[in-house]
Amino acid sequence: MTAHVSDDAVLDLALGAGTASRRGHAESCEACARRVREAASALELAQRAEVPEPSPFYWQALRHGVSQRIAHEGQETRRSAFLVPLAAAAAVLAVLFSVPALPVKGPLAPGLAAWSALPLEEEDEGLRVLEGLALSSGELAEWDRGEGLSAYLANLTDDESRVLAETLRKRGQGGES
Amino acid sequence: MTSAALACPLGLAASAVPGSGAELEREAERDAIAASKRGEREAFDVLVARYQRPIYRLCYRYVNNHDDANDLAQEAFLKAWRAISRFRGDSAFSTWLYRIAVNACLNFRAKRRPETREIDEALVDPRPGAEWHVEREDDAFRVRAAVSRLPDRQRATLILKLFHDLTHEEVAGILGSSVGTVKANLFHALANLRREMTGARETRS
Repeated sequence: MTAHVSDDAVLDLALGAGTASRRGHAESCEACARRVREAASALELAQRAEVPEPSPFYWQALRHGVSQRIAHEGQETRRSAFLVPLAAAAAVLAVLFSVPALPVKGPLAPGLAAWSALPLEEEDEGLRVLEGLALSSGELAEWDRGEGLSAYLANLTDDESRVLAETLRKRGQGGES
Repeated sequence: MTSAALACPLGLAASAVPGSGAELEREAERDAIAASKRGEREAFDVLVARYQRPIYRLCYRYVNNHDDANDLAQEAFLKAWRAISRFRGDSAFSTWLYRIAVNACLNFRAKRRPETREIDEALVDPRPGAEWHVEREDDAFRVRAAVSRLPDRQRATLILKLFHDLTHEEVAGILGSSVGTVKANLFHALANLRREMTGARETRS
């Protein structure tokens, strides 16, 4: 007696193929014959899985759907073909023009926006005081005791500060010092 | 198998006799492929019309419902359109298209695998051989449901081999596997299908 047939051979026999020797074995061997019958019955069973036939109109709808998707993709592709170089050019320009605005060490370039705790120029009374000082520095020489203006201002007493502020205010208003 | 059948495994051109209708169809197909490669959408529509039915049915057997089968069939054709410029004709166009559709199905299953559920016990007739006596429609539904629950490769092999009448070699070409693997997958698919349908335990060790 020959060896039992392999799974492949069982399948071939169930499909109506296979060699004569294997078929002969399967006919004489109950175990192999049962396996071939099972495979054949499974094949027959599987063949029953019919697909419901869709509406005759469906095929047209399918073609239309495919066509629409292809057309849509074509539009997207064309849009990308236009936008990608444009975006790349924009990116290059952005990089080029952003270089001067990159943070640099050292003092801020004039005119660049920066956060500051100082009030606006037109609201800065201290600035007007300094302007007054600058304008009247010669006249204020009598107040300077040779220690430098900043040291002098820092050493003013409250009364002296009030007198100085009053003097400057009058000058700012066009009055007499 | 004849060279004609190998060239067109979907059975769309059973004969390659020069001047025959089948040969003219094949020539028309070659023209449509060439025009599609040049970007002519109308030519691709011809190919869609030619293969829509087998591709849809392939997808349906994978997912066992119309809506997903429709989505998958459209996706397969869309992918074919995108890739057709790379189709070199080394295999039949139908084989190439089937490979795209099977891959779409396999990816779909990976993304949206439906809930696995056993066949309702009430639907399984425990009597020996009783599976042959159920009503035809109910039978088809049950078999489709059982097929859709087979492991991916087994399901692909079963569908291509049995429902689309391809050879082992053609199925191997589509799935990118060997003939031996195709046979093994088919054997196990049938065993699993039978077991699912009969509810019987596999007796063979």
